[in-house]
Amino acid sequence: MRRRILATVTALAVGAALAACSGESGTPTLTWYINPDAGGQAAIAQSCTEAADGAYVIETSLLPRDAASQREQLARRLAAQDGSIDIMSLDPPFIPELAEPGFLAPVPAELEALGTEGVVQGAVDSAMWDGELVTIPFWANTQLLWYRESVAEAAGLDMTEPVTWDEIIEAARSQDKLLGVQGTKGESLTVWINALVASAGGEIIANPEAPADEVELGLDTDAGRAAADIIGRIGDEGLGGPGLPTADENASMNLFASDDGSFMVNWPFVWAALGEASPDVVEDMGWAIYPQVEEGADAAPPVGGINLGVGAFSDDVDLAYQAVECIVAPENQAEYFVTNGNPPSSVEAYEDPRVAEDFPMWETIRDSLDLAVPRPQTPRYNEVTLGLQETWHPPSAVSPDSSPEEATSLITAVLRGERLL
Amino acid sequence: MGALTTRQKVGWAAIAVAVLVWSLFPVLSIIMTSFKTQEGLFSGTFLPQEWTGENYAAILAPGGSAQDLFLPALRNSIGISLISTFIAVVLATFAAYAIARLDFPGKRLILTTALAVSIFPVISIVTPLFNLWRNIGLYDTWLGLIIPYLSLTLPISIWTLTAFFKQIPWELEQAAQVDGATTWQAFRKAVVPLAAPGVFTTAIIAFFIAWNDFVYGISLTSTSAARPVPAALAFFTGASQFEEPTGAISAAAVVVTVPVVIIVLLFQRRIVSGLTQGAVKG
Amino acid sequence: MPPVGVDRTRERSATGRKPTTGRVRRSDRARDEVRLGWMLAGPAFVVMLAVTLYPILQAVFDSLFNFRLTDPDAREFVGAGNYAVVLTDAVFWDSLWVTLLITVVTVAIELVLGFALAMVMHRAITTLRGWLRTAILVPYGIITVVSAFAWFYAFDINSGGFVNNWFDWVPGVDENLNWFAAQGTSLFVIIASEVWKTTPFISLLLLSGLAQVPGDLEEAAKVDGATSWQVLKRVILPNMKAAIMVAVLFRALDAFRIFDNVFIMTNGANGTEVLSLLAYRTSIGRLEIGLGSAISVLLFLCVILISFVAVKGFKVDLASARGGE
Repeated sequence: MRRRILATVTALAVGAALAACSGESGTPTLTWYINPDAGGQAAIAQSCTEAADGAYVIETSLLPRDAASQREQLARRLAAQDGSIDIMSLDPPFIPELAEPGFLAPVPAELEALGTEGVVQGAVDSAMWDGELVTIPFWANTQLLWYRESVAEAAGLDMTEPVTWDEIIEAARSQDKLLGVQGTKGESLTVWINALVASAGGEIIANPEAPADEVELGLDTDAGRAAADIIGRIGDEGLGGPGLPTADENASMNLFASDDGSFMVNWPFVWAALGEASPDVVEDMGWAIYPQVEEGADAAPPVGGINLGVGAFSDDVDLAYQAVECIVAPENQAEYFVTNGNPPSSVEAYEDPRVAEDFPMWETIRDSLDLAVPRPQTPRYNEVTLGLQETWHPPSAVSPDSSPEEATSLITAVLRGERLL
Repeated sequence: MGALTTRQKVGWAAIAVAVLVWSLFPVLSIIMTSFKTQEGLFSGTFLPQEWTGENYAAILAPGGSAQDLFLPALRNSIGISLISTFIAVVLATFAAYAIARLDFPGKRLILTTALAVSIFPVISIVTPLFNLWRNIGLYDTWLGLIIPYLSLTLPISIWTLTAFFKQIPWELEQAAQVDGATTWQAFRKAVVPLAAPGVFTTAIIAFFIAWNDFVYGISLTSTSAARPVPAALAFFTGASQFEEPTGAISAAAVVVTVPVVIIVLLFQRRIVSGLTQGAVKG
Repeated sequence: MPPVGVDRTRERSATGRKPTTGRVRRSDRARDEVRLGWMLAGPAFVVMLAVTLYPILQAVFDSLFNFRLTDPDAREFVGAGNYAVVLTDAVFWDSLWVTLLITVVTVAIELVLGFALAMVMHRAITTLRGWLRTAILVPYGIITVVSAFAWFYAFDINSGGFVNNWFDWVPGVDENLNWFAAQGTSLFVIIASEVWKTTPFISLLLLSGLAQVPGDLEEAAKVDGATSWQVLKRVILPNMKAAIMVAVLFRALDAFRIFDNVFIMTNGANGTEVLSLLAYRTSIGRLEIGLGSAISVLLFLCVILISFVAVKGFKVDLASARGGE
């Protein structure tokens, strides 16, 4: 301790930032590939480096913005057996594709509990592949139904009870307002489709673990048709506004904050973002569990978030898992939530007093995570999601009579290698 | 040109204004976007309703959300583009001179190769290169981008310079050769001054092509060690995972446009004098 | 590279029949010329081959396999199977058609605009010249990705673009027009940004060609009472053939590989998929190296075809000796 103080004083005295240079030679550097955030992962990397006290140094490296490009970069480099990838922040749907060919280092037995116990169910499901835990949940995301209290009231909706899609469509129609949904041709569209299908009691893929040419889709069912009906109606009647065919999470948030805003399904980041941008909207803002498709049947909200994987070709797999253990500590998750707005996967983290203070909807988030149903877990997820986006876009062209069928035939053919996307 | 009539003056002024507006308006538009606040972005107006420097702080100020993405990328882009331009232009000048002036078997082969190389989809070159670079340690290095950039800059330099050299009157060189100078001397004394304008034009074209690359930059790098600006722009991020980095991207776009404007200002005078001198009235 | 060093001409003329001095000199010259030619052009040639030959061959080779990067064990030889899949798929033909449309429209617009700009710069009074050239070089120097963002933000309804507000007097444009939700309007913006960005390239090349047009021929034609149009047709254009050819050829091939702005603006949504993007999404996005390489090879063949047609059509042969037209 005294030596450290002395060293610091010396460093300050010479005015050099050399003290910040972590680790003498020989300290292994772990590279953590992170998805963009507001700096929270870099801060955790630093605090874990300090806590490791010379055992390792974590350096962060930024991945592209959208999930598909993140997967692209990592998959390409892992396929080339890139040893510089130690820790990865992974979007759950793409985990099976990396786990199947053995690109992820197996989770050590002593860390199994870390990924499964005291973790919200949606996150546990998303961390598994083929019956094994292949990643460690870090944070879990889910979409809530956000609404303008004034609009809900004017439409006569009782928001203390679960509402259905039909009800909010009717409310938007009667109040001449617009719904905030994500209709852009991207991953967010699949998120929406999956939530609708799962809420209606169906599943996009009936046998996700089957080999590619034996995959059977569950879209051409009543559940699939119910989902297509909702999307088609919103698109067809212009209830999503003119920006709907290109609306992502951010665009739907801006629509919600405009004078036309009424209801919106979106991730909790909107709370912090709108808190900064338009406080008057936040005054009028309420939240509830994701809308139901059939009245009385629990909704299946989307689940997202980030799990941590360790590269199979890393030189320091054991150290990397040590670092992962540090990163996902509940206090780090709570800190990450309040600073970056990304909800914890650890149940314990929700008990942090700061959470309730900054995120009054924390209980709704936690409950939503318990109801949430992940997107299909298959190594060919990328083809599935692209096939859906190809056939269910733009929203105004989606119809229960044709869209489920089109998606089924396209995705099946693509998985057999007979068609292009 | 003699004195201009009023009508001609008005005509020229109108043309000049039209060209300026057409060329600069999109730039002006993104400059305006770069000064908008996060809320102001959705106003649908051209001018910011409220001017802010926060987007520039995000990419330039220490601790800005995109600063450590942007500044190294800027350095990489400038360095890598300059080096690959220099190599390409030197090689292409010799090659184009030979093709335009000399009679030797294989000229067509070289031109056809240049064409084939310049038109081969970069996309399909990227994957094999990526694997090779990984194996020989060029991945995510300057050199690892400079080499493939030659595939972009060299062919177009050869074709452009060849077309240019073909238009040059070569009497001076022949005169020099008749005077007993060697081919090399004739080349150096008589041709280089005539060829310089074309070489400068080509250098600018080659530089901007390298500067412009997106696919190699995004595929053959993974850190700030070599990632160029266009690739870095795709990594920009707002305050959260879902927030559009519109402001930061616009600010970065303006910043990387500044060196372009400077280069244009520096080089255009040379092009002007070069091109007009290059036109030997014969 | 041909061997350099031993001068066989001299040896032969010492031993064999003595040719006339003139002829010796000529053949000496010719051989010197061959050697010098390869010495000058060789390095560029070798570099080009080294940088691209391996990857190109590798791409052709890869296109014969069913190979997915995240499933390396399942790699198998399928011969022309990938080509069969690609060529029988409407997705490929649609994107080919869109690519051709973009290419033809942009090149046509750009040739006219670029020539006009080149003429303006060529003729402009000195005070204006610098300004015009600087202005024109700005779009050229701007990164395509940046120009794509500039146009995208101006039109995009979700980013508060101003275009709808400014142009609401145009029939069909109102504040609710989402440019990027339909094929026609998306292609309009894509083509506009492409034209804006690359017209200067054409006009630069044309300008260097214009500078080579003998001024006295123009003067002579004018003295003979030719109209500007006749001067253009009879004097300027014939003398610029090579420059126009190069400009059109390179722009067409460049436009045919359009990628950056489509990627940024629509990422291929709403029928704006172009060939390069399809190849990219297949090989880099889906990591289907085999299929993606097949698309890339087909794209390459299309491009070869275009350049072949262009070279034959224009009947300008850049490789012909010493500009003897």
